[in-house]
Amino acid sequence: MKQGVVDATKIPNFSAVKPAVKKLFWRGKDGWDESWFDHAAAVVGSRRITEYGRRVVDKIVPQLVNGGATVISGMMYGVDQAAHRACMASGGRTVAVLGWGIDYKGITAEDLSIMNEIIEKGGLVVSEWEDQAGTLWTFPQRDRIMAALADEVYVVEAAVKSGSMITVEWAIKLGKRVWAVPGPVTSRVSDGTNRLIAEKKAQMWLPEQQVSQRTTNDAKSDDKNADIYRLLENETLTVDELARKLMRSVNEMGAQLSVMTLSGEIKEKDGKYFIGG
Amino acid sequence: MLVKVRSVANVGLVTMPVEVEVDVAEAGFPGFTIVGLAGKAVEEARERVKTAINNSGMDFPSKKITVNLAPADLPKDGGAYDLPMAVGILAASGQLNFQLPFFNFKNTIFYGELSLDGSLRATKGVLLVGLFAQQTQNSKIKTQIFVPIESANEAAVVEGITVYPVRNLIELTDHLNEVKQIKKLGKVEVKELVEEGGVEYDLAEVAGQEQAKRALSIAAAGGHNLLMWGPPGTGKTMLARAMPGILPSLNSAEALEVTRVYSVAGLLEPGESLVRRRPFRSPHHGVSAAGMIGGGSNPLPGEVSLAHLGVLFLDEMPEFPRSVLEGLRQPMEDGQVQIVRAAAHVSYPASFTLVAAVNPCPCGYLGHPRRECRCSDKQIRKYRARMSGPILDRIDLHVQVPAVETDKLSSSPSLPAGKAGLGSSSKEVRKKVIDSRKIQDLRFRDESIFTNSQMKNKQVRKYCPLTGESERILRLAVEKWDLSARAYFKLIKVARTIADLAGEKDILPVHMAEALQYRQVG
Repeated sequence: MKQGVVDATKIPNFSAVKPAVKKLFWRGKDGWDESWFDHAAAVVGSRRITEYGRRVVDKIVPQLVNGGATVISGMMYGVDQAAHRACMASGGRTVAVLGWGIDYKGITAEDLSIMNEIIEKGGLVVSEWEDQAGTLWTFPQRDRIMAALADEVYVVEAAVKSGSMITVEWAIKLGKRVWAVPGPVTSRVSDGTNRLIAEKKAQMWLPEQQVSQRTTNDAKSDDKNADIYRLLENETLTVDELARKLMRSVNEMGAQLSVMTLSGEIKEKDGKYFIGG
Repeated sequence: MLVKVRSVANVGLVTMPVEVEVDVAEAGFPGFTIVGLAGKAVEEARERVKTAINNSGMDFPSKKITVNLAPADLPKDGGAYDLPMAVGILAASGQLNFQLPFFNFKNTIFYGELSLDGSLRATKGVLLVGLFAQQTQNSKIKTQIFVPIESANEAAVVEGITVYPVRNLIELTDHLNEVKQIKKLGKVEVKELVEEGGVEYDLAEVAGQEQAKRALSIAAAGGHNLLMWGPPGTGKTMLARAMPGILPSLNSAEALEVTRVYSVAGLLEPGESLVRRRPFRSPHHGVSAAGMIGGGSNPLPGEVSLAHLGVLFLDEMPEFPRSVLEGLRQPMEDGQVQIVRAAAHVSYPASFTLVAAVNPCPCGYLGHPRRECRCSDKQIRKYRARMSGPILDRIDLHVQVPAVETDKLSSSPSLPAGKAGLGSSSKEVRKKVIDSRKIQDLRFRDESIFTNSQMKNKQVRKYCPLTGESERILRLAVEKWDLSARAYFKLIKVARTIADLAGEKDILPVHMAEALQYRQVG
């Protein structure tokens, strides 16, 4: 593992952020590489991630990686960690901007384990402090660095008052492109993102249409599977709900869902089924 | 004069003879001494016995009275020695005018607590006294037992002994003096009592939750332990309460076994003779380890034993103290608990089906369609980690009990009738359960186990061969979800039960696939 310091004042964009960032401490397997930030996207969002948020992250991040982008996030649990994990899983470069000092020893075992994982898989861990503890003011400070490093920001699930919104404010100030993922209007963690879209501060992010194509392919192979597929296209459902809608018994339905899950056609989480993105 | 009267002591479920020796001496200061490791309650018997005799219009001799409870090294507690002591004192002071040699004290057991007015109070453990009398009597003379009238019915189910229900000391002395006989208690057939028990909570009363009901019937059929995940108010408790109703009724031997435990614990209603329904115990999560497993200096049965042959329901399982949950491991493995205390070492049966309910997170609303969860990732992880691996390992079935939106329920088309597990009443499900239990009885006729859940790995290999396709599905699942060897065998056992419910000889792919629905997640 290598580690070092970069003079932040030399990085473009950083001159515009306040308070000014003087240095950036980093750790990584291969060292600091300026070219990573030629195309970098920050994926930010709530600590309280819902199942919906996870699925969105699993859609966005691989797309970004395929497009050659570096994925930047804040290594907090929730959306941040999901983004780092998704990026590593699809073989991309990821950068974690810490809300505490790079040498700070008081972090939890989980944070430590993902930090080590990021470094091991060739990512970078970055902070403007050396041994500063993470407190109320350090996290908002961190957000400005993310905005400055990235050239576009994706917001997945964020409340109206949240750190993600601070990142967005900075990104707008710095003239970066902001994408917000729409969410259910009943969910508090989608309030912020929906509002960004409504107030035209961010562009609404929508996935490309691919799912319906797969359905028609499968319809040829198996009618029963197609029924389930059609229902799951629109919403996530439990075994009971599927059984009721298709007028089948739960035991048959359960058996069929098991087989479909095994073959990877559908996914299951906490008893709810959906079509994997 | 010295008189010996027989009584018994219950140590756990083991009954031991106790000889109550009463000596009323002519010489010496008047007094009343009890020896023989008497506990506080027995010490206090002096006042009860004295007052009861006086209040019954008889004389408490003002002489030196010594009572010895033999054997001397067995600790004795409780009020049951009041009656034998009173009888001994009355006999030794010449107030019972029968000729002692003719009255067969050897075959007579006195057992019961006295009230100050001379009447007898309900005393726990009478069934055990009856069973003890039955086991120890010789073939020629029937053993007779004198027990309090309120508890006498417990002994009415015991074959071959004579039970005298005693109301008070006066009736007893009249009987012993042959002035007026106490009417013997009529024999009650266990079989008559355990006729098809009614159903307290019907499965049909729970709205929706078809998969959970299905899991419940699999649990009942194969004796599997069950864990339900779901937010509050989705019917987990009602489902659990319906479990005893879909289990086969207690047979005579089982009913007696359960009643023994309840008799020792003193939990039988006065006048009741038998526990007829499968027990359902649902201890609150504030329960102590001693309350759950059993304990006390003279150990009483805990919740696990009171749930013997029935259902132990742990609502909000992660809220239980870890020590209490860990204590469940031995009974879940062995079907009994050993309780060791300074005074005694007892063993109680504890063969129960565990049904546990768990909220998805501390606030309970994770994944709820309308309400929002307020817990952080860390809290949720911590909450779930409270259930230790060894306990989860012993639970074969895991099922989600999601929140049901009532409008969805009422507007949905009614379910097709006749499909297994759908909207069935407890009676219908119970019939299926009984049928599959019969299949299991036949399967395990050469083994010492009764249900699929009790199979060891060797037996799984022997009795659950997998066909090619079932095997392929299972292998696929093991790979995809990184299942452990233990999970592998659990799934086969569950699949076996599902096949039994369907009346199939082989485990078909569809059974294996359904079993995967109930695997342990996370």
